[in-house]
Amino acid sequence: MKHLPKHLRPRWRYLAVGIDSWPEADIDRRTFQRTLWFAAQNLLGDTGSAELDVSLLRFQFRDGEGDAVVRVRRGEVERLRAVLATIHEIDGQSVGLRVRGTSGTVRACEEKYIRRPPESSEERTVALAGTERPAVVRNDRVDVADSDGRVGATALDIRDN
Amino acid sequence: MYEGVHTHPDGRATAARFAKTAAAYGYDGVVIRNHGDAQAEYDPDRIEERYGIDVVPGIEIRSDDPGQASGLVGNYRSKRTVVCVHGGELNRFAVEQPAVDVLAHPMRDGDINHVLAKTAAENGVHLEFNLASVLRAEGGERVDAIQGLRKLRELTEKYDTPYVVSADARSHLHLRAPRELIAVGETIGFDREAIAAGLEAWGELAARNRTRRSDAVIEPGVRIESRDGEH
Repeated sequence: MKHLPKHLRPRWRYLAVGIDSWPEADIDRRTFQRTLWFAAQNLLGDTGSAELDVSLLRFQFRDGEGDAVVRVRRGEVERLRAVLATIHEIDGQSVGLRVRGTSGTVRACEEKYIRRPPESSEERTVALAGTERPAVVRNDRVDVADSDGRVGATALDIRDN
Repeated sequence: MYEGVHTHPDGRATAARFAKTAAAYGYDGVVIRNHGDAQAEYDPDRIEERYGIDVVPGIEIRSDDPGQASGLVGNYRSKRTVVCVHGGELNRFAVEQPAVDVLAHPMRDGDINHVLAKTAAENGVHLEFNLASVLRAEGGERVDAIQGLRKLRELTEKYDTPYVVSADARSHLHLRAPRELIAVGETIGFDREAIAAGLEAWGELAARNRTRRSDAVIEPGVRIESRDGEH
Protein backbone atom coordinates (compact mmCIF):
# COMPACT_ATOMS: atom_id res chain seq x y z
CA MET A 1 0.00 0.00 0.00
CA LYS A 2 1.21 3.45 -0.87
CA HIS A 3 2.26 5.75 1.92
CA LEU A 4 0.14 8.79 2.56
CA PRO A 5 1.60 11.99 1.16
CA LYS A 6 3.45 13.85 3.83
CA HIS A 7 0.90 16.60 4.37
CA LEU A 8 -1.82 14.03 5.02
CA ARG A 9 0.09 11.94 7.53
CA PRO A 10 -0.92 12.29 11.17
CA ARG A 11 1.11 14.75 13.20
CA TRP A 12 2.57 13.42 16.40
CA ARG A 13 3.96 14.76 19.62
CA TYR A 14 6.40 12.84 21.81
CA LEU A 15 6.28 12.99 25.58
CA ALA A 16 9.19 12.09 27.81
CA VAL A 17 7.82 10.54 31.00
CA GLY A 18 9.80 10.05 34.18
CA ILE A 19 8.79 7.10 36.38
CA ASP A 20 9.66 7.08 40.07
CA SER A 21 9.03 4.19 42.46
CA TRP A 22 10.36 2.29 45.44
CA PRO A 23 13.75 0.69 44.86
CA GLU A 24 12.47 -2.90 44.65
CA ALA A 25 9.79 -2.12 42.05
CA ASP A 26 9.98 -4.15 38.89
CA ILE A 27 8.09 -2.91 35.84
CA ASP A 28 8.47 -4.16 32.29
CA ARG A 29 7.49 -2.55 29.03
CA ARG A 30 4.36 -4.63 28.42
CA THR A 31 2.99 -3.93 31.88
CA PHE A 32 3.57 -0.22 31.51
CA GLN A 33 1.92 -0.17 28.10
CA ARG A 34 -1.09 -2.09 29.36
CA THR A 35 -1.42 0.23 32.34
CA LEU A 36 -1.22 3.25 30.03
CA TRP A 37 -3.98 1.92 27.78
CA PHE A 38 -6.24 1.03 30.68
CA ALA A 39 -5.67 4.42 32.28
CA ALA A 40 -6.64 6.17 29.04
CA GLN A 41 -9.73 4.06 28.68
CA ASN A 42 -10.77 4.54 32.30
CA LEU A 43 -10.39 8.30 32.20
CA LEU A 44 -11.45 9.11 28.62
CA GLY A 45 -13.38 6.09 27.38
CA ASP A 46 -13.10 4.37 24.01
CA THR A 47 -13.62 7.52 21.96
CA GLY A 48 -11.07 9.51 23.89
CA SER A 49 -8.51 6.69 23.75
CA ALA A 50 -8.99 6.42 19.99
CA GLU A 51 -8.46 10.16 19.58
CA LEU A 52 -5.25 10.03 21.58
CA ASP A 53 -3.95 7.12 19.50
CA VAL A 54 -1.25 6.66 22.10
CA SER A 55 1.71 4.29 21.77
CA LEU A 56 4.77 3.55 23.84
CA LEU A 57 7.99 3.98 21.86
CA ARG A 58 10.80 3.70 24.39
CA PHE A 59 10.83 2.25 27.85
CA GLN A 60 13.51 1.58 30.42
CA PHE A 61 13.20 0.85 34.10
CA ARG A 62 15.88 -0.18 36.55
CA ASP A 63 16.38 -0.03 40.33
CA GLY A 64 13.00 1.56 40.93
CA GLU A 65 13.14 4.31 38.35
CA GLY A 66 12.88 4.74 34.66
CA ASP A 67 11.63 6.70 31.73
CA ALA A 68 9.48 6.31 28.67
CA VAL A 69 8.75 8.08 25.41
CA VAL A 70 5.07 8.09 24.56
CA ARG A 71 3.67 9.16 21.20
CA VAL A 72 0.33 10.91 20.88
CA ARG A 73 -1.64 12.82 18.24
CA ARG A 74 -0.74 16.46 18.13
CA GLY A 75 -3.41 18.48 19.90
CA GLU A 76 -4.02 15.70 22.44
CA VAL A 77 -0.99 16.33 24.63
CA GLU A 78 -2.99 17.75 27.52
CA ARG A 79 -5.40 14.84 27.59
CA LEU A 80 -2.50 12.39 27.59
CA ARG A 81 -0.94 14.40 30.39
CA ALA A 82 -4.14 13.90 32.39
CA VAL A 83 -4.09 10.16 31.68
CA LEU A 84 -0.46 9.88 32.80
CA ALA A 85 -1.29 11.75 36.01
CA THR A 86 -3.82 9.07 36.93
CA ILE A 87 -1.28 6.24 36.71
CA HIS A 88 -0.40 5.71 40.35
CA GLU A 89 0.09 1.96 40.47
CA ILE A 90 1.58 -0.51 38.03
CA ASP A 91 1.12 -4.18 38.83
CA GLY A 92 0.30 -3.23 42.42
CA GLN A 93 3.46 -1.13 42.78
CA SER A 94 3.18 2.57 43.62
CA VAL A 95 4.59 4.88 40.97
CA GLY A 96 4.99 8.62 40.57
CA LEU A 97 4.80 9.78 36.96
CA ARG A 98 5.86 13.11 35.60
CA VAL A 99 6.04 14.55 32.11
CA ARG A 100 9.57 15.86 31.70
CA GLY A 101 8.88 17.50 28.37
CA THR A 102 7.33 17.22 24.93
CA SER A 103 8.92 17.34 21.49
CA GLY A 104 8.01 17.10 17.84
CA THR A 105 10.38 14.22 17.15
CA VAL A 106 11.46 11.12 19.08
CA ARG A 107 15.07 12.09 18.71
CA ALA A 108 14.66 15.56 20.14
CA CYS A 109 12.58 14.09 22.93
CA GLU A 110 15.26 11.57 23.89
CA GLU A 111 18.14 13.97 23.57
CA LYS A 112 16.54 16.67 25.63
CA TYR A 113 14.77 14.74 28.36
CA ILE A 114 16.04 11.16 28.62
CA ARG A 115 19.59 11.78 29.76
CA ARG A 116 20.12 10.16 33.09
CA PRO A 117 23.40 9.86 34.89
CA PRO A 118 23.76 6.40 36.39
CA GLU A 119 22.94 6.65 40.05
CA SER A 120 24.55 4.48 42.64
CA SER A 121 22.34 2.51 44.96
CA GLU A 122 23.42 0.98 48.24
CA GLU A 123 21.74 -0.82 51.10
CA ARG A 124 22.52 0.20 54.63
CA THR A 125 21.02 0.69 58.06
CA VAL A 126 19.88 4.17 58.95
CA ALA A 127 18.26 5.83 61.93
CA LEU A 128 14.89 7.37 61.08
CA ALA A 129 12.99 9.06 63.91
CA GLY A 130 15.25 7.36 66.43
CA THR A 131 14.86 3.80 65.13
CA GLU A 132 17.49 1.83 63.23
CA ARG A 133 16.06 0.42 60.02
CA PRO A 134 17.32 -1.07 56.75
CA ALA A 135 17.22 1.33 53.82
CA VAL A 136 18.14 1.71 50.18
CA VAL A 137 20.14 4.87 49.57
CA ARG A 138 20.16 6.45 46.11
CA ASN A 139 22.23 9.60 46.41
CA ASP A 140 20.13 12.03 48.44
CA ARG A 141 17.10 9.75 48.45
CA VAL A 142 16.71 7.27 51.29
CA ASP A 143 13.93 4.68 51.16
CA VAL A 144 13.54 3.18 54.61
CA ALA A 145 11.84 -0.16 55.27
CA ASP A 146 9.39 -0.41 58.15
CA SER A 147 6.64 -2.82 59.16
CA ASP A 148 4.19 -1.34 56.61
CA GLY A 149 6.54 -1.19 53.63
CA ARG A 150 8.70 1.76 52.75
CA VAL A 151 8.96 5.35 53.86
CA GLY A 152 10.50 7.88 51.50
CA ALA A 153 13.10 10.08 53.21
CA THR A 154 16.19 12.04 52.25
CA ALA A 155 19.69 12.37 53.64
CA LEU A 156 18.36 15.30 55.64
CA ASP A 157 16.20 12.93 57.73
CA ILE A 158 19.03 10.61 58.61
CA ARG A 159 21.16 11.44 61.57
CA ASP A 160 24.84 12.34 61.03
CA ASN A 161 23.94 14.24 57.88
CA MET B 1 2.05 26.99 43.45
CA TYR B 2 1.72 24.90 46.62
CA GLU B 3 0.47 21.46 47.59
CA GLY B 4 -1.05 20.18 50.82
CA VAL B 5 0.55 16.88 51.83
CA HIS B 6 0.45 14.18 54.52
CA THR B 7 3.91 13.22 55.74
CA HIS B 8 5.12 10.24 57.77
CA PRO B 9 3.55 8.94 60.05
CA ASP B 10 0.33 10.20 58.40
CA GLY B 11 1.78 9.26 55.00
CA ARG B 12 4.69 7.30 53.55
CA ALA B 13 7.29 10.01 52.98
CA THR B 14 8.99 12.55 55.19
CA ALA B 15 8.55 16.29 54.84
CA ALA B 16 12.04 16.47 53.33
CA ARG B 17 11.26 13.87 50.66
CA PHE B 18 8.02 15.66 49.79
CA ALA B 19 9.89 18.95 49.57
CA LYS B 20 12.60 17.47 47.34
CA THR B 21 10.06 15.95 44.95
CA ALA B 22 7.73 18.96 44.96
CA ALA B 23 10.66 21.27 44.19
CA ALA B 24 11.63 19.08 41.22
CA TYR B 25 8.02 19.21 40.01
CA GLY B 26 8.01 23.01 40.04
CA TYR B 27 6.13 23.77 43.24
CA ASP B 28 7.00 26.81 45.35
CA GLY B 29 5.93 25.22 48.60
CA VAL B 30 4.23 22.40 50.50
CA VAL B 31 1.79 22.68 53.36
CA ILE B 32 2.24 19.83 55.85
CA ARG B 33 -1.29 18.94 56.84
CA ASN B 34 -0.99 15.80 58.89
CA HIS B 35 -4.02 14.75 60.88
CA GLY B 36 -3.91 15.76 64.53
CA ASP B 37 -3.18 12.24 65.77
CA ALA B 38 -0.29 11.70 63.32
CA GLN B 39 1.95 14.72 63.71
CA ALA B 40 5.46 14.76 62.30
CA GLU B 41 8.67 16.33 63.49
CA TYR B 42 10.55 18.36 60.91
CA ASP B 43 12.60 21.50 60.62
CA PRO B 44 10.99 23.73 57.95
CA ASP B 45 13.95 26.10 57.73
CA ARG B 46 16.48 23.34 57.24
CA ILE B 47 14.39 21.68 54.52
CA GLU B 48 13.79 25.00 52.82
CA GLU B 49 17.50 25.74 52.85
CA ARG B 50 18.38 22.38 51.30
CA TYR B 51 15.65 22.11 48.64
CA GLY B 52 14.74 25.72 47.99
CA ILE B 53 11.05 25.28 48.68
CA ASP B 54 8.73 26.81 51.27
CA VAL B 55 7.64 24.34 53.97
CA VAL B 56 4.50 25.47 55.75
CA PRO B 57 3.51 23.88 59.07
CA GLY B 58 -0.17 23.02 59.02
CA ILE B 59 -2.62 20.58 60.54
CA GLU B 60 -5.78 18.76 59.55
CA ILE B 61 -8.06 18.59 62.56
CA ARG B 62 -10.16 15.45 62.72
CA SER B 63 -12.86 14.83 65.30
CA ASP B 64 -16.38 13.43 65.62
CA ASP B 65 -17.40 16.18 67.94
CA PRO B 66 -17.70 19.85 66.93
CA GLY B 67 -17.07 20.89 70.54
CA GLN B 68 -13.75 19.09 70.62
CA ALA B 69 -12.89 20.34 67.12
CA SER B 70 -13.56 23.87 68.27
CA GLY B 71 -11.08 23.48 71.10
CA LEU B 72 -8.48 22.03 68.72
CA VAL B 73 -8.92 24.88 66.23
CA GLY B 74 -8.42 27.39 69.05
CA ASN B 75 -5.39 25.50 70.26
CA TYR B 76 -3.64 25.09 66.91
CA ARG B 77 -4.54 28.48 65.40
CA SER B 78 -1.58 30.10 67.10
CA LYS B 79 0.76 27.13 66.61
CA ARG B 80 0.32 26.33 62.92
CA THR B 81 0.37 28.54 59.86
CA VAL B 82 -2.43 26.74 58.04
CA VAL B 83 -5.33 25.12 59.89
CA CYS B 84 -7.48 22.62 57.97
CA VAL B 85 -10.49 20.67 59.17
CA HIS B 86 -11.12 17.08 58.07
CA GLY B 87 -14.36 17.31 56.07
CA GLY B 88 -17.45 15.16 56.34
CA GLU B 89 -19.21 15.35 59.69
CA LEU B 90 -17.52 18.66 60.47
CA ASN B 91 -18.52 20.51 57.28
CA ARG B 92 -21.05 22.77 58.96
CA PHE B 93 -18.81 23.43 61.93
CA ALA B 94 -15.82 24.32 59.73
CA VAL B 95 -17.53 26.79 57.40
CA GLU B 96 -18.81 28.72 60.41
CA GLN B 97 -15.32 29.28 61.86
CA PRO B 98 -13.34 32.22 60.47
CA ALA B 99 -10.33 30.69 62.29
CA VAL B 100 -10.40 27.73 59.89
CA ASP B 101 -8.39 28.16 56.68
CA VAL B 102 -9.40 25.08 54.71
CA LEU B 103 -12.24 22.59 54.87
CA ALA B 104 -10.55 19.48 53.47
CA HIS B 105 -12.40 17.07 51.13
CA PRO B 106 -15.89 18.31 52.08
CA MET B 107 -17.56 15.92 49.61
CA ARG B 108 -15.84 12.71 50.69
CA ASP B 109 -18.07 11.68 53.60
CA GLY B 110 -20.33 14.69 53.60
CA ASP B 111 -21.99 17.26 51.43
CA ILE B 112 -21.97 20.95 50.72
CA ASN B 113 -25.13 22.87 49.88
CA HIS B 114 -25.85 26.49 48.97
CA VAL B 115 -26.06 27.53 52.63
CA LEU B 116 -22.68 26.05 53.54
CA ALA B 117 -20.99 27.41 50.40
CA LYS B 118 -22.29 30.89 51.21
CA THR B 119 -21.28 30.66 54.86
CA ALA B 120 -17.79 29.51 53.86
CA ALA B 121 -17.50 32.51 51.55
CA GLU B 122 -18.56 34.88 54.35
CA ASN B 123 -16.02 33.42 56.76
CA GLY B 124 -13.20 33.09 54.24
CA VAL B 125 -13.02 29.33 54.74
CA HIS B 126 -11.45 27.73 51.65
CA LEU B 127 -13.19 24.61 50.37
CA GLU B 128 -10.87 21.95 49.03
CA PHE B 129 -11.16 20.39 45.59
CA ASN B 130 -9.57 17.11 46.55
CA LEU B 131 -8.39 15.21 43.47
CA ALA B 132 -7.32 12.04 45.33
CA SER B 133 -10.13 9.84 44.03
CA VAL B 134 -9.87 11.25 40.52
CA LEU B 135 -6.17 10.40 40.47
CA ARG B 136 -6.10 7.20 42.47
CA ALA B 137 -9.51 5.51 42.25
CA GLU B 138 -11.53 4.15 39.37
CA GLY B 139 -15.02 2.99 38.56
CA GLY B 140 -17.86 3.99 40.85
CA GLU B 141 -15.69 5.66 43.46
CA ARG B 142 -14.12 7.91 40.86
CA VAL B 143 -17.48 8.69 39.25
CA ASP B 144 -18.86 9.74 42.65
CA ALA B 145 -15.81 11.89 43.30
CA ILE B 146 -16.07 13.66 39.93
CA GLN B 147 -19.77 14.32 40.50
CA GLY B 148 -19.00 15.69 43.94
CA LEU B 149 -16.34 18.01 42.53
CA ARG B 150 -18.74 19.27 39.90
CA LYS B 151 -21.36 20.13 42.48
CA LEU B 152 -18.75 21.84 44.61
CA ARG B 153 -17.49 23.77 41.59
CA GLU B 154 -20.95 25.02 40.72
CA LEU B 155 -21.53 26.19 44.29
CA THR B 156 -18.16 27.89 44.72
CA GLU B 157 -18.68 29.71 41.41
CA LYS B 158 -22.13 30.86 42.46
CA TYR B 159 -21.10 32.19 45.88
CA ASP B 160 -17.53 33.11 45.03
CA THR B 161 -16.32 30.81 47.80
CA PRO B 162 -12.52 30.64 48.13
CA TYR B 163 -10.98 27.25 47.45
CA VAL B 164 -7.79 25.23 47.28
CA VAL B 165 -6.87 22.30 45.03
CA SER B 166 -4.84 19.28 46.11
CA ALA B 167 -3.84 15.79 44.99
CA ASP B 168 -3.89 14.91 48.72
CA ALA B 169 -0.59 13.07 48.43
CA ARG B 170 0.29 10.46 51.07
CA SER B 171 3.74 9.87 49.63
CA HIS B 172 6.10 11.61 47.23
CA LEU B 173 4.89 9.09 44.62
CA HIS B 174 1.39 10.56 44.85
CA LEU B 175 2.58 14.05 44.00
CA ARG B 176 1.79 15.28 40.50
CA ALA B 177 3.24 18.35 38.81
CA PRO B 178 1.00 21.44 38.54
CA ARG B 179 0.64 21.04 34.77
CA GLU B 180 -0.54 17.47 35.24
CA LEU B 181 -3.16 18.50 37.79
CA ILE B 182 -4.33 21.28 35.50
CA ALA B 183 -4.71 18.74 32.67
CA VAL B 184 -6.65 16.38 34.94
CA GLY B 185 -8.87 19.27 36.04
CA GLU B 186 -9.59 20.11 32.44
CA THR B 187 -10.79 16.59 31.67
CA ILE B 188 -13.31 16.76 34.51
CA GLY B 189 -14.68 20.17 33.61
CA PHE B 190 -12.48 22.73 35.39
CA ASP B 191 -10.99 25.78 33.72
CA ARG B 192 -7.20 25.59 33.61
CA GLU B 193 -7.05 28.84 35.56
CA ALA B 194 -9.26 27.44 38.31
CA ILE B 195 -6.88 24.60 39.15
CA ALA B 196 -3.86 26.90 39.03
CA ALA B 197 -5.65 29.38 41.30
CA GLY B 198 -6.49 26.58 43.74
CA LEU B 199 -2.82 25.57 43.93
CA GLU B 200 -1.79 29.21 44.38
CA ALA B 201 -4.33 29.64 47.16
CA TRP B 202 -2.35 27.46 49.62
CA GLY B 203 0.59 29.84 49.27
CA GLU B 204 -1.61 32.90 49.62
CA LEU B 205 -3.09 31.48 52.82
CA ALA B 206 0.38 30.82 54.19
CA ALA B 207 1.56 34.34 53.33
CA ARG B 208 -1.54 35.97 54.81
CA ASN B 209 -1.35 34.00 58.04
CA ARG B 210 2.34 34.67 58.46
CA THR B 211 1.67 38.39 58.19
CA ARG B 212 -1.13 38.07 60.72
CA ARG B 213 1.06 36.18 63.14
CA SER B 214 3.98 38.53 62.76
CA ASP B 215 4.72 41.13 65.41
CA ALA B 216 3.57 43.93 63.11
CA VAL B 217 -0.07 42.97 63.60
CA ILE B 218 -1.55 44.27 66.83
CA GLU B 219 -5.09 43.03 66.36
CA PRO B 220 -7.24 42.15 63.35
CA GLY B 221 -7.21 45.16 61.05
CA VAL B 222 -4.48 47.01 62.95
CA ARG B 223 -0.95 46.73 61.66
CA ILE B 224 2.25 48.65 62.30
CA GLU B 225 3.67 50.16 59.11
CA SER B 226 6.72 52.29 58.70
CA ARG B 227 6.26 56.02 58.21
CA ASP B 228 7.18 56.26 54.54
CA GLY B 229 4.74 53.52 53.61
CA GLU B 230 7.31 50.73 53.38
CA HIS B 231 6.62 47.51 55.20
